[in-house]
Amino acid sequence: MIEALQQAGFGNARACHFFDSFSGTTKEGVARKYGVRGANFIAYKTA
Amino acid sequence: MSVVCPVNLDREKLKSEVRATYARVAENPDGNFHFHRGPEYAARLLGYDLAELKALPQTATAPFAGVGNPFLMDPLPAGATVIDIGSGAGMDCLLAGQRVGLRGTVVGIDMTDAMIARARTGAAEAGLKQVRYEKAEITDLPMERESIDVVISNGVINLAPDKEAVLGELCRVVKPGGRLQFADIIVGTELSEDVRNNIDLWTG
Repeated sequence: MIEALQQAGFGNARACHFFDSFSGTTKEGVARKYGVRGANFIAYKTA
Repeated sequence: MSVVCPVNLDREKLKSEVRATYARVAENPDGNFHFHRGPEYAARLLGYDLAELKALPQTATAPFAGVGNPFLMDPLPAGATVIDIGSGAGMDCLLAGQRVGLRGTVVGIDMTDAMIARARTGAAEAGLKQVRYEKAEITDLPMERESIDVVISNGVINLAPDKEAVLGELCRVVKPGGRLQFADIIVGTELSEDVRNNIDLWTG
């Protein structure tokens, strides 16, 4: 995602926070298997 | 070099499945889905303020199905123009509307009729005139070039098979110096082609 943001024209892109968004769902096992979780991203359009 | 995972699935079918899944969420948020919904989930796992969410109309909060919390990052400036791509029932739009105030504008974008209808009802119930919704696809936004201060989103970009097109469109509408602050899902391992092409895993 960071690379995609940079290629699109956004700078200083970074992931800020991570979340176990699928904990307790029926897809929890799949999420764990593939390392799927939520993340916050921020990126700035180059002035 | 492309940074987008190559997928060989039927993109129109994927779009149709996404639209159908979230229409079901809009119509019956307490239904049986493979992902969490609602304000208690948002507070317990994503760091939202439950008291703040309980003050919003349930019309907007019950179908919430985000995967992170865009409000944990930079504060939205008063008076800012903000768009929420894939705004769903509008919970994040209402929070954004409270932050930007009456001098600001928040536009929620969604491609699902049922979500747009529910979001408009929620905004009216909340009395936030600075919040409105438009039906559109996130690769073709109804916004002028360089007109947006901040883009928020929560668990939507992952649903688009062409993420380069989405990010390119966001770059078109954001002002120079403006920003994206969004939540999405990340995958910690390389996925097989079978998994990448499994629509159930995209929409589930």
